[in-house]
Amino acid sequence: MRTLAAWLIRAQFRSRRAATLLSMLAIALGVALGYSIHLINDAALADFSRAMKTVQGEPDAVIAARDSAGSVPLPLVDEIAGDPAVLVAAAVIETRVRIDDLRTPVRLIGIDLFTAAAMMPGLLPRDAERAATGGILAGALYASPALLAEIGLQAGATLTLLRGDQRWSATIGGDLPAAGADDLLLVADIAWVQEHFGPAGAVSEVRVRLAPESDPAGWRAGVAARLPPALLLRVAQDDSERASNLSRAYRVNLNVLALVALLTGAFLVFATQLTAVAQRSTHFALLGVLGLPPRMRLLLVLLEGLAIGLPGALLGLVLGYALALAFTQLLGGDLGGGYFSGKVPLIVPQLLPASGFLLLGCAASLTGAAYPAYLNLRQPLVEALNNGFTARPQAVRSRRRQLLLPASLALLAGGLLQLPPLSGLPLAAYAAIALVLLIGVAGAPLLTQEIFGRAARLRLPATQRIALQNVAQAPLMAQVAASGLIVSFALTASMVIMVSSFRVAVDHWLDHVLPAPLYLRGKASPLPQELLTALERADAPFLRVERSAYASLTLDPRRPAVALLVRELDRRDPAARLPFTGAVLVPPPEMPVVWISEAMQEIYRIVPGQSLRLPLLGGDVEVFVGGVWRDYARQFGALVISRDDYQRLGGDFRPSDLALWPRPGEEAAAGEWLAPHAAAHALEVAESAGIRRLSLSIFDKSFAVTYALEAAAMVIGVFGLAVTLTASVWLRARELATLAALGFDQRMLRHALMLEGALIASVGLLIGLACGIAIGAILTHVVNPQAFHWRMPLHLPWLALLGGAVATLAAAVLASRQAAREATRLPLAQVLASSQ
Amino acid sequence: MLTATGLAKRHREASRALFTDLAFTVAAGEIVALVGESGIGKSTLLNCIAGLDTPDGGAIAIGSPAVDIVRLGEAARAALRARSIGFVFQAFHVLPTLTVAQNIGVPLLLAGVPAAEHASRTQALLTGVGLPGFGDRWPASLSGGELQRVAIARALVHRPRLILADEPTGNLDPRTAGQVLTLLLERVREQRASALIVTHSRHVAESCDRILTLTPQGLE
Repeated sequence: MRTLAAWLIRAQFRSRRAATLLSMLAIALGVALGYSIHLINDAALADFSRAMKTVQGEPDAVIAARDSAGSVPLPLVDEIAGDPAVLVAAAVIETRVRIDDLRTPVRLIGIDLFTAAAMMPGLLPRDAERAATGGILAGALYASPALLAEIGLQAGATLTLLRGDQRWSATIGGDLPAAGADDLLLVADIAWVQEHFGPAGAVSEVRVRLAPESDPAGWRAGVAARLPPALLLRVAQDDSERASNLSRAYRVNLNVLALVALLTGAFLVFATQLTAVAQRSTHFALLGVLGLPPRMRLLLVLLEGLAIGLPGALLGLVLGYALALAFTQLLGGDLGGGYFSGKVPLIVPQLLPASGFLLLGCAASLTGAAYPAYLNLRQPLVEALNNGFTARPQAVRSRRRQLLLPASLALLAGGLLQLPPLSGLPLAAYAAIALVLLIGVAGAPLLTQEIFGRAARLRLPATQRIALQNVAQAPLMAQVAASGLIVSFALTASMVIMVSSFRVAVDHWLDHVLPAPLYLRGKASPLPQELLTALERADAPFLRVERSAYASLTLDPRRPAVALLVRELDRRDPAARLPFTGAVLVPPPEMPVVWISEAMQEIYRIVPGQSLRLPLLGGDVEVFVGGVWRDYARQFGALVISRDDYQRLGGDFRPSDLALWPRPGEEAAAGEWLAPHAAAHALEVAESAGIRRLSLSIFDKSFAVTYALEAAAMVIGVFGLAVTLTASVWLRARELATLAALGFDQRMLRHALMLEGALIASVGLLIGLACGIAIGAILTHVVNPQAFHWRMPLHLPWLALLGGAVATLAAAVLASRQAAREATRLPLAQVLASSQ
Repeated sequence: MLTATGLAKRHREASRALFTDLAFTVAAGEIVALVGESGIGKSTLLNCIAGLDTPDGGAIAIGSPAVDIVRLGEAARAALRARSIGFVFQAFHVLPTLTVAQNIGVPLLLAGVPAAEHASRTQALLTGVGLPGFGDRWPASLSGGELQRVAIARALVHRPRLILADEPTGNLDPRTAGQVLTLLLERVREQRASALIVTHSRHVAESCDRILTLTPQGLE
């Protein structure tokens, strides 16, 4: 039986080389895209974890402040260090400083050399022979090789460090040999850092290694319970989880998009295998008559599917690896989400994920082959032997039964959309999207019969009538031909809708969050006092200046920190500056009020009007939640507090960003006024129009991969139509030959077939558009809020959608020319003479 | 070799009876012609015997020891056909994507004949049907007569005990038909197989050992 299967599969591939290769390539493309995205993200995450390990070592626990402005008091450090269960307690002070003209701040880490040797070998400094600085304990700085290369200095040179309007000079004593190739780090003695940058009497965090005989879980639980609310205890696993969570939804989303290409590939396999089954129905029937067991008729078609899927998936793995290498070399490890740096991470293929994608490719191909295999099994032998393929399983269905499947699927999809995210991912919504596609494909025969059955009854010229009747009377073939197009156009349209909705929403949001003409940013570093004082002088060319400061709060150690924005706004009228999504509540007079972003509302399940305890300014502060505002900048949540409330709570308001309104007519002077300050302190000045342009360009870049994947899906969809139409010419050879004998010339045959292609493509595009709008709504209203915590109104870009549909229709008509050409090549006399 | 008893079959769409209470036998080594008007049910009867259609009543015992094909499941019927029955059709039904030798070899694969015997059996039959050296050729390059010779070789290659032929010369010109018929009968007799040949041709019927005529009243 194996020999027979090999003969038949070889024969099938020989006779349908183009269609088989296309299906194989479609599977390869889907696997390649998915696998390359996996490899790039995996490498970027590994790079991220490695960098974290260099800086942090591998502690059993880390004790740190929840508030980024907070610290761990030294008495607690001493208490931890004196705990008999603790082997090493390494105190660390970390801050960000600027170096001379370098615009990007770098991390300055203050370490205790002796505890760091045991805990963080990656941060150990190496003295340069010629530096003669007296070493780390004498106040020397040590820079990572990447930083030395960036600033173009060597050991022995003097650096100027800037923070706010303070400057310190220090000598480079050597380098950090264990730092990663891309790490921009400075290391100094913890006492030196504390003396210059603070915090006084405290450290940023304590990294703990426990004694081998201790009980880590018990110790951690005990210490966590004793810690004041402003501090938290986290473990290395939390850090990895947090790093992974940072980009998880984005990665899953990209992978789902890659799977879309695979799904379209599965539909192409479906189209290829169904036409192959139909074309060879007499052959399979003959084999059945000669004694081929029924299950072999099923297995043979499945085996053919596997024979397409396996090499396709293997090719996909190779292509995916090559694609990942090329992509990281060209664009670094960030796929447009902005979660990782643009560094070139090391791509390391691993057996398990590779096997997973291999299986996925095979499964997609087998799924595509499953229904054709079933139909092959169900073909009545004698009828198939005498009359060829019969689509009776579809044709005899009553309208009610035809409606039953789409209606049940729609109900199921509606149910799935009510489910909450699973493990933070919108898995039920993705399943609902798959169901919408199935509804579209399952509904195609009914729609085809309805529309074209009626149209065929009109008085039309012979060519048009034949084309209409063929499409109306062969709904299964129309379904097969249109399925790839339905799926690819639906997904493309949905992405266009989602991205357009998002872009329009971001555009409106930018209007609201960028009210001032000019902005000045200190990049999370406090602005120099000298500048702030100058701005208050009467001769400053500004009508109004609003200051803001940033910090972060860790509410859950496994989740990325929440941004805390301290802004100069009127707590009685926050809506003047924040784009609220609902009512703004009046807070109790004596209670501090915060306004939370939508993401924070979704992630931490907080509702306006409730009170909330925040680990703020070293304490546990109760605040009132006054409303929810839209924020597309911070996916993991943000909260705004007014400067007045922050200062009332004892906060030290040190602004890092400014919104500036120049006096009318003094716009140019305002820019000139700011320029020397910006140059002296490496500050960034931007016009709101420039920020808007940059934001939208980042937005477009982040969806570039999405567009590439959708384009691939569309190409596959159009190929699918071409493959099916070409195959259908051979299936209907006798009918076409009869038409030719009755007087249809080659031009008429060609026109009829191209018209058929256009009609089927129209059905596909129509259904695809309807499904696309439904999926676009799911992506906008369910997937985005669940995965990224972003909400936005639905916006249908009709011009782009209809333009895309017309372009696809044109491509489909062009693709059906191949089928028309095949029809004119049919050996008509031979076909008519043959009874096969 | 073949014993049918009490066979009945109604037309699927029209509710009229095609035949009722048919009974006949084909002895081992006997070649029987089945004749009758178009639409009378000859092909349906043949399909019932081959297990491709199921009669509404009756039994069809094939081989020795006899097996009632009507009582078998679909997989067992396929196995019985693969082992014990050879087919020749009016429309040849030669697989165009396999070579001539591969076409003839298909029943050997289905019957589980050891691979070592395939080449010799195929070659012997190609010679036997007058097509030596045709093994590597593709069906598209063969004439109708040659295709039917390939079909005859395929029907006999696994040495079945029963050959069922449905209008085996219906698509051929009289001269070729005569040659193919002679060949078919010679090879069937050579293998001492039984055969039931459905035909409209008086010449074909008269060449057989016995003629059964299917009429609305039954077999005559």
